[in-house]
Amino acid sequence: MAQNIVAGVFCCIGTFFFLLGTTGLVRMPDVFTRLHPSTKCDTLGACSVIIGMAVYSGWSWDLLKLVLIACFVLLSSATCGHAIGRSALKRDIAYWRKDRKEVEDGHGA
Amino acid sequence: MKRVVSLLFIAALLALLLYVVANMPPMGDPENPTNSSEVIKRYLNEAEEETHCENVITGIILNYRGYDTMGEVTVIFCALAAVLAVLGREKRGKIYAYADRSRVPSSAIVRTMVAFLVPFIILFSIYTILHGEISPGGGFQGGAIVGGSMIIFTTIFGLYESSQRIPQKLRAPLEGSAVITFFIVGILGMAGGGNFLTYAWPNIATNLQPSVVTWLTILVEIGIGLGGAMVLISILFSMIREEEEIAVAP
Repeated sequence: MAQNIVAGVFCCIGTFFFLLGTTGLVRMPDVFTRLHPSTKCDTLGACSVIIGMAVYSGWSWDLLKLVLIACFVLLSSATCGHAIGRSALKRDIAYWRKDRKEVEDGHGA
Repeated sequence: MKRVVSLLFIAALLALLLYVVANMPPMGDPENPTNSSEVIKRYLNEAEEETHCENVITGIILNYRGYDTMGEVTVIFCALAAVLAVLGREKRGKIYAYADRSRVPSSAIVRTMVAFLVPFIILFSIYTILHGEISPGGGFQGGAIVGGSMIIFTTIFGLYESSQRIPQKLRAPLEGSAVITFFIVGILGMAGGGNFLTYAWPNIATNLQPSVVTWLTILVEIGIGLGGAMVLISILFSMIREEEEIAVAP
């Protein structure tokens, strides 16, 4: 019973961070700020859900699989965020500033 | 006003979807309307005994519907043949040296991570292929995973490196392996005394039948996996080569 409640709480935290990440992806103004919430989806969101499932499954072989999944998700999502951010930076994509007006084509100033 | 209307519309859609979900039949209930047909009853009751696959889906697609799957495999092979007919293969022994034409060369972090992850992806695909008759998965999925890992590798390291790893000499004979394995297993079924694509052979001792069925299923899975992976990789390579030629031409 207590196991189920803890698992449910962790899964709720995970889905909450997924919701936050998706909202941030829609609401944020440019690539770099969008990258910030969307990488939170993978680290905090997916890892909380995995922790919840690990608590739910208890000591079994599923636990090992879940830990492996968490490791690979962390590695690949960090690499993905790095690649997107670096590529955007090197391509001179303008970043958003509050004091500058947005120009017509949708990019920052 | 617009906002209120769209909120109302979304709320109505949410209520409708929740209502439909609440009224769906429970999962796995034997009283479900889909379970009434004779064929599904036969599959659910007899499949494990007849096909010796714990995963009923693998038993159905490879054993009961062997002909259908053979047709699908032929369709995949035809897709490769069509792509090669249009784009052409890369010339043997004349692999283009890789020139990174991207404005942003890939960073050391990405290269290290891809080189670290690709072996694990291929290991996972081998697991998917060989475990396909016990757990979800199988030849098609495993082959697609190998193809995906090679797509990552090629986008980061370039066509030159990846065609060194999987040379055309190795790829070309394996592309048809799915169709060929199906035919071999089918002919073996005829040699064993049954019809084409019979997995349980009437001519051999009854206590050997289960292991023969299991090993033939695994053989077909491996064939499908190898064939699918090689088809994906060949399509990718011929498309990339086309792009490189376009980039060089002007």
